[in-house]
Amino acid sequence: MKSTIEYIERVSNGSVDIKKETEEVLSNLDSLNDKYHYLGAISTGLARELSNNVSIKPKGRLAGVYVSVKDCIAVKGVETRSSSRILSGYKPVFNATVINKIISEGAIIIGKTTQDEFGFGSFSTNTGIGIKQPVNPFDIQRAAGGSSGGSAGMAQVADFPHISLGESTGGSIASPASFCGVVGLTPTYGLVSRYGLLDYANSMDKIGPIGKTVEDCALMLSIIAGHDEKDSTSYNPANSKEKSDDGSKNIDYTKNIDRPISGMKIGIVKESLGEGVDESIKNKVNECASDLKAQGAIIEEISLAVPSEYALPSYYIIAVCEASTNLAKYCGMRYGKHESLKGNFNEYFTKVRSKHFGQEAKRRIILGTFARMAGFRDAYYLKALKVRTVIINEYKKAFKNVDALLTPTMPVLPPRFDEIKNLSVLQNYMMDVLTVGPNLAGLPHINIPYGMIDGLPVGVMLSGDHFCEEKLLNVAFNIEKNAP
Amino acid sequence: MFESEIVIGLEVHAELDTNTKLFCSCPREGNDKRNSRVCPICLGHPGSKPVMNKKVLDYGLRFGLAIGCNIAKSLVFSRKSYFYPDMAKNYQITQFEIPLCSNGIIKLSSGKKIKINRAHIEEDPAALTHPAGINDSAYVLVDYNRSGNPLIEIVTEPDMTSPNEARDFMKELIKILNYLEIFDTDSCIIKADANISIRESGYKRVEVKNITGFKEIERALMYEVERQKQAVSEGAEILMETRSWDAAKGITCSLRLKESEEDYGYITDPDLVPIDVSDELIETIKKNMPELHHAKLDKYKKNISEEDAKVISSNHKLAAIYDEVCEEIDPVFAGRWIRRELMRVMNYNKIEFEDLKIKPSHLIDLFKLIIEGSITDSVGQKIMEKLVEEPFDVNEYVNSNSLKTISDNSELKKICKQVINENPQAAEELKAGNTKSLNFMVGQVMRITKGKADAKKLVEIFKSIF
Amino acid sequence: MNVDHDLIIKVAGLSRIKLTDEEVKEFTPQLKEVLEFFTVLDKINTDDVEPSFHPIEIKNALRDDTPGKCLNQEEALENTEHKNDGFFRGPGAV
Repeated sequence: MKSTIEYIERVSNGSVDIKKETEEVLSNLDSLNDKYHYLGAISTGLARELSNNVSIKPKGRLAGVYVSVKDCIAVKGVETRSSSRILSGYKPVFNATVINKIISEGAIIIGKTTQDEFGFGSFSTNTGIGIKQPVNPFDIQRAAGGSSGGSAGMAQVADFPHISLGESTGGSIASPASFCGVVGLTPTYGLVSRYGLLDYANSMDKIGPIGKTVEDCALMLSIIAGHDEKDSTSYNPANSKEKSDDGSKNIDYTKNIDRPISGMKIGIVKESLGEGVDESIKNKVNECASDLKAQGAIIEEISLAVPSEYALPSYYIIAVCEASTNLAKYCGMRYGKHESLKGNFNEYFTKVRSKHFGQEAKRRIILGTFARMAGFRDAYYLKALKVRTVIINEYKKAFKNVDALLTPTMPVLPPRFDEIKNLSVLQNYMMDVLTVGPNLAGLPHINIPYGMIDGLPVGVMLSGDHFCEEKLLNVAFNIEKNAP
Repeated sequence: MFESEIVIGLEVHAELDTNTKLFCSCPREGNDKRNSRVCPICLGHPGSKPVMNKKVLDYGLRFGLAIGCNIAKSLVFSRKSYFYPDMAKNYQITQFEIPLCSNGIIKLSSGKKIKINRAHIEEDPAALTHPAGINDSAYVLVDYNRSGNPLIEIVTEPDMTSPNEARDFMKELIKILNYLEIFDTDSCIIKADANISIRESGYKRVEVKNITGFKEIERALMYEVERQKQAVSEGAEILMETRSWDAAKGITCSLRLKESEEDYGYITDPDLVPIDVSDELIETIKKNMPELHHAKLDKYKKNISEEDAKVISSNHKLAAIYDEVCEEIDPVFAGRWIRRELMRVMNYNKIEFEDLKIKPSHLIDLFKLIIEGSITDSVGQKIMEKLVEEPFDVNEYVNSNSLKTISDNSELKKICKQVINENPQAAEELKAGNTKSLNFMVGQVMRITKGKADAKKLVEIFKSIF
Repeated sequence: MNVDHDLIIKVAGLSRIKLTDEEVKEFTPQLKEVLEFFTVLDKINTDDVEPSFHPIEIKNALRDDTPGKCLNQEEALENTEHKNDGFFRGPGAV
């Protein structure tokens, strides 16, 4: 397929009958969805409206590009429920900032992608009650990865110009990207506005693109990145002491993406190639390292013992603490699932929440409530925050010596659904072991598909220092061009 | 630990007089149509995020600095989790570990110092209506116009020893808040929760919630002290509980047993970031701080009596009027007329300062006329009475009603002679040197001239006749 | 700290969730295992370390006290059935 950027050019020249294209895309979505369950809601009306606008004014850096949006990102007038039954029927009265941005650049939104309920999962097998799980595009008996399973799946199967907007808290962009054989970019925390993102863990949630190519992801990032005054945690170069490699606004991340990378220092994280990671996956990483070396990069082995051991528990504690407060608002008042107003408010809230939250949501709410209770708060919540500091410092130290870190993305190939059922809750959590480090530390990281093993995709993950997306994408592009 | 018979601590929530809410740009007041001064943020819509109102920090700092608090180096917010139908998010954004202000003092008019443990910033929940009373309503009605309004919470040490003292504290606090121009009695709510215990029960603490305004606080606490004393004398146990003040019925009723602190599961709010409270900011706030009543009192005392100065400085609206009038009128004159005449008329007509419509310009016009002799004191007093009822243009009124002082000697002499003729008995006594009769005769002339005669001249004229 | 059925039920209650008996039986060992796993953090020394509430240093996000756009009453009440005469309706207090 021709590149997305070429397609956009043709749209801008008026050489694409965009309304016709849209009808064709829409007509195939139902059957696609029947097979794969990637879309929890198809936004036919909105797609036609935006398509109409683009046909009148075919301008914009995303002109005519079809975008699917993870269900946790608010799209005005389109059912947005983070794949949870407790928000069934909820249609936001506002757009997330990223949605406004892509619409103003000519994107055509086709629907909301399925995910683990509120982001709680690594396989997208924890979709909410009554919501079908997305399946792996290469084997529908296997998981698509999570929690942005629907987004990654769509990115793989879409045979039209398409980029998805996913979201990552502990690895939810990289993981499904790896399992579905697509590129998934998680930007630095704070680079992309969280306004309109239904929160999982506010200090770790990041919206990022999932697409077929590194270039597509770079293009999308250029549009969604930037300070938003509606999000207090949005990176504001004017205010922050943070020394950013890239500076500030309106960076075109596709520019210079293909610069040669000779002389770049890439660190292979020793602990990521240890026990618990499939041999075949480790081999892929080594293959990638060899290719980078052949391109003139300097490969170094790096040890990150502290993040490797402590990032997972630290991440989960902070995540469930924040999540349990974020989910308190879902109680059958003002929006979402209602029940009849019988009983006092405690009884009512309990009824709504107990009935409509899925199992994993309940588990994480309980864990999070516990970890910040008086008497436990210091040992869990505060301790995890301090460990986060230590971990961030370790990464910062490492980036003084290397430009990027290379690891596998997932320790296993996409498992079958029946295999996943046999995993304990803790074993599920452990699947994030390779992605939680960069996520906890807010570092930008990207999954690059690196061939297949036994007919299933495998990816390698590259992580960079805060706000070093340009460098990261540059190396990623060069990995991708030689990938098997 | 405690020595007094009654121990009272207060937790006061005062709404800050800003244009917009604490974390969103909805107007804080204005359109009162239900649920129309709202947005996704104050409605707790999924995905919405708070952004802090700069003005609230300024106001919080004004208060802390005014009462001598330690100021935190950084403004940090926490989430206090609890479930209630008036909560938009089922957590309140408030301050937990490090309040903006701590360890201040508020001095009562009696001189007693009440220690302020902390003052911090938090958001208001929505307004709840129980259609059939709190205990009997199957459902509640919620209006989110109030949701997200900025509050300052002021927590005292348990330093008050009587309901009376609690009332004095509230009065003093409201005065300070008014003077700092961070609180407007007309548009801002102030509520208090009180912790009260008595010696007889071994100082078992009871919390009384939902007390609005300083008048209610004395009522509520007097009732509660009586209730507790009675319970003890009857041998009943005082439960450590939370009670609600029902102003209409004049009683407190039990809300829930206060076994232990509810577990609020505090976390630092991850949707907000720390705000530096720099030394520069503090200096700027200090420089631009409105004058407090203590400072005004000291200033006024230089010109007028301490007692008059106290009265004028004790009400910030009155002080503001006085300050503006003094820009054009001699402060001694202004002090006398405002303290004696204006307040006399207001008290007589039972008019509160909140309802006073007179503007400084009215008083300036009036006082100028008196000072230059265009009207007499007596006429001035009458005009003051009318002004308090309904203000009007003083100069126009004086002209159209011919109220100017009569100072023409021949005219005055004519009237004096008329009075002498009408009152021969008094005239004789006056001739004999009786001062009472002189006053009487002067009074008669004043009556005839409707107060417009120049009294000093009358005395001279009468003296010259005899 | 003993992670048993009672604790799970209590904490669930704090977050207004009532678990079925099966859920309690199922969740207790699962959560116990996870909570025990969390204690691995005790091994790492954080004595003089400040907590990181965000992974990058962001400060001083403030806005001016200027009124902005609001929703109207209809928009505010759009997403609920529980409404009455411009109010939201909610469950009673007792």
